[in-house]
Amino acid sequence: MVKSREPKKSEMMPGTLELLILKTLERNRDPLHGYGIARHIQRVSRDVLQVEEGSLYPALQRLVVKGLVEAEWGVSDNNRRARLYRLTPAGRKQLAAEVADFERLLEAILRVVRPA
Amino acid sequence: MIRLAQLWRRARHYARREQFDRELAEEMRFHLEMKAEEYVAAGMSPEEARRAARRQFGNETRLRESSRETWGFASMETLLQDVRFGARVLAKHRGFTAVAVVTLALGIGANTAIFSVVNELLLRPLPFRDAGRLVMLWEVSPAGRRQNSTSRANFRAWREQGASFEGMAAFSDQRLNLSGAGDPEEVSVQLATPELFRVLDVKPALGRALAEEDAGPDAPDVAVLSHGLWQRRFGGDPAVVGRSITLNGTPRTVVGVLPAGFQWHIKQRSSTGRPAEIWVPLAMPTEGAAARGRFLSVVARMKPGVTVEQAAAEMKTIAARLEQDAPQFNKGFGAEVLPLREQFVGNVRPALLILLGAVGFVLLIACANVANLMLSRAAAREKEIALRTALGASRMRVVRQLLTESLLLALMGSALGLLVAWWGISALVAISPRDVVNLQGVGLNLTVLGWTLAVSLLTGVIFGIAPALEATRLNLNDTLKEGGKGAGGHGARAGRLRSAFVVAEVALALVLLASAGLLVKSFFRLQKIDTGFETENVLTMVVSLPEGKYGEERQMVAFFRQVTERLRALPGVRAAGMVNYLPLYGGPGSSTGFTVEGRPAPPPGEEPGTSVRVADAAYFEAMGIPLVRGRHFNEREGAEARRVALVSESMARQHFPGEDPVGKRISVDMFEQPTPTEIVGVVGDVRYDSLTDEAVPTVYFPHPDLAYPFMTLVIRTAGDPSEVAAAARREVRAVDPEQAVADVRTMNQVMADTVGRARFNTLLFGLFAGLATLLAAVGIFGVMNYSVALRTREIGLRMALGAQPRRVLMLILRQGMFLTLVGVGLGLVGALTLTRVMSSLLFGVEATDPATFAAIVVLLTLVSLLACYVPARRATRVDPLNALRYE
Repeated sequence: MVKSREPKKSEMMPGTLELLILKTLERNRDPLHGYGIARHIQRVSRDVLQVEEGSLYPALQRLVVKGLVEAEWGVSDNNRRARLYRLTPAGRKQLAAEVADFERLLEAILRVVRPA
Repeated sequence: MIRLAQLWRRARHYARREQFDRELAEEMRFHLEMKAEEYVAAGMSPEEARRAARRQFGNETRLRESSRETWGFASMETLLQDVRFGARVLAKHRGFTAVAVVTLALGIGANTAIFSVVNELLLRPLPFRDAGRLVMLWEVSPAGRRQNSTSRANFRAWREQGASFEGMAAFSDQRLNLSGAGDPEEVSVQLATPELFRVLDVKPALGRALAEEDAGPDAPDVAVLSHGLWQRRFGGDPAVVGRSITLNGTPRTVVGVLPAGFQWHIKQRSSTGRPAEIWVPLAMPTEGAAARGRFLSVVARMKPGVTVEQAAAEMKTIAARLEQDAPQFNKGFGAEVLPLREQFVGNVRPALLILLGAVGFVLLIACANVANLMLSRAAAREKEIALRTALGASRMRVVRQLLTESLLLALMGSALGLLVAWWGISALVAISPRDVVNLQGVGLNLTVLGWTLAVSLLTGVIFGIAPALEATRLNLNDTLKEGGKGAGGHGARAGRLRSAFVVAEVALALVLLASAGLLVKSFFRLQKIDTGFETENVLTMVVSLPEGKYGEERQMVAFFRQVTERLRALPGVRAAGMVNYLPLYGGPGSSTGFTVEGRPAPPPGEEPGTSVRVADAAYFEAMGIPLVRGRHFNEREGAEARRVALVSESMARQHFPGEDPVGKRISVDMFEQPTPTEIVGVVGDVRYDSLTDEAVPTVYFPHPDLAYPFMTLVIRTAGDPSEVAAAARREVRAVDPEQAVADVRTMNQVMADTVGRARFNTLLFGLFAGLATLLAAVGIFGVMNYSVALRTREIGLRMALGAQPRRVLMLILRQGMFLTLVGVGLGLVGALTLTRVMSSLLFGVEATDPATFAAIVVLLTLVSLLACYVPARRATRVDPLNALRYE
């Protein structure tokens, strides 16, 4: 009845999920609901990133607490009540910083793994 | 700023947390529905689509919980929830809770009580400014005796040459008669150089302290009072400054009163045995015997930045110089520097730390017991825990819940433990020996409460963590399938853990029992020591005559002759004599040089030494000290100086080997001029300094030869000596109505005070060891009982197959005894290592005494056998039919 006792380990680096959420929200001019964010991440990453979809919600809460994301109840495309998330100016700034950090890190990793 | 905003968001969230939960649930439901719709669009059946969406989503409960935890305050909320739940669980299992709480209370209470003493004596700052810089300076005698008093001449040299010190003061206690303003009274007076108050940095409450000019030869006679004396005798009258008091017949002007609570008392070297209440300047003659007599204690304040080692090194150099300058006085004398705290509590420190270790062991045993209880209960709770895990609680979450429960138990235990400690502290104070340390100030203060809290939190974790981890280690499927009946898959592991606890308990109890056994044995040895005198039915009391009234030796001799004669005439008195210092009295112990007539004079500084006492013939009769050779002082020698003396056996043995000392003449350096004295007899050896030190050579002078104003009356009675006390006082008053009597004690009391500390240690260790054994027995009983319950089916089967009850009994006993013997083995190893640290507390018994260890092993094994026997008997009464039907 239960698949496993231990939570499934996310196969991503810690903090990556938050980065993906921020990036997704930045790309879309309109606020998105949780399901929309999940679908977008999966589509863009071409299903490479295996996300346990539910873990999106604790991550979203973390962003709201930090003030990087704002939440508001609204109406979805199919006219249902949904909580919609939008990036705050602080979130936008944070994203820029994190993307820069991430690129630096990635570059370093690539330099190491790629044959010269 | 950002932090503040976050805090505000969290607070707002907390206010609406129920709404938040609802919204989060709605949000997740929305997500799942959308996902399912997506799958349906891809061609799945609605049922299949819902399941797939759920799978993809993950554990909803856990996700919801972790979302909630993001909002900070949630952890506080969980804690409250855990506490509420834990309290409910504990309230439901009252028997378990009571046993656990009482066990913990005993352990924590004993710890708190002992810690409060440690805190008072070893940790609390001494009541002097910058007390870390205060040190005592002593000489070390050629015989290696430490804390030896020094002389005026040497003190003066120390004060002039010691560059490590900011100030130095010498002092000495004396009993003097205080008269004027009320009844005459014998008080303890400290003769001190005026720097004393500057060195200790004490500001008087009234008037002034002693000053340099008070010490001059022509200075007016002044006195400073203690706060207590001022209150007692002068009713706290502020006009006391300028008034006159009379000390031993000399009028003195009161110049000041010291603050309340000030006390300056070095018990080891005080000749009055109690704190001084009056301070007068110490005269400092520069010449003659007065400058060389060793009777001064010295306190000094080190300069800032100087270490004790540096000061000690300097003192050593000074002592070496003094030895060279005046070998006739200082040959072989060294010097030592003792930090003040060490002076006050130095000799109780090892005992205290060992006691603290002992109660630590008791607490560990208590923890092991409670841990075992929790393990047994964890088995019963298996199903509950499995269910909670199945419903999405992470392992950490369940461990946290179980730990909250054990912390609750620990806190309840420490609350009750404080009661135990409160009672224990008053008991400790009541039985504590009154020598050296003062326990009156011990109590439950903030430091002690803090310690207790820390100890209980620690114990909560110690006894809680292993059972909690064990309880959550279960395999969910197995447990749920089995339906939670009996011990599940982890029974064997938990059983091993339980066995380990029992082994540890037995080992710890053995260490404590061995220590207690060694102390008991050395205590008996201490009491069986041949002191050289008989203590039964002997009453003693101190009389010290005021100098002014009894200025002439003739008067002193006559007074004491009259008193002892009158005492002998009392009904119920067998003998009544006197001596200047009672055995085991303490006081300034010293060695006085002497020469034997007809022998070549030894080189300076190498004269033989002897202890000198003043006594009359009846003293030896009253104390039961035998006459070995020669005769006692006769009637005439008791009335006037005839230049005679008695010597002790060790004196005869050491200084007159192969000769008869009776009839020889010696000259002891106690008199202004060489005074040849004839030895008329040899008496038995007496241990004067301490029970454990061998008797030293002693010369006894009759009172007329060496008149003392200060004598102890020794009365042997036919019946209870304390019944004679009142009559004896009356006889003293009959000779001089103004004469005070002090320190009325039976010789048995003197002995009891002497062995007080040994008795204290023995009593406490015995108590802790007893407690440890009891707890260990309860632990073994619990484990065996539980094991029998688990094996009911197996035992029933064996019996159904024809096993005799005796075999079943042996089966269970063997299991228990195996654990016991492993524990005993480990405990022996531990005890042999640990009892070594207590050798300083032992007397006449080795730290590895085989007899004690053997007795302890037998005792512990028997106790554990008994603890196993009860469950084993129960096992033999298992009804095979019932046991098999059980399934």
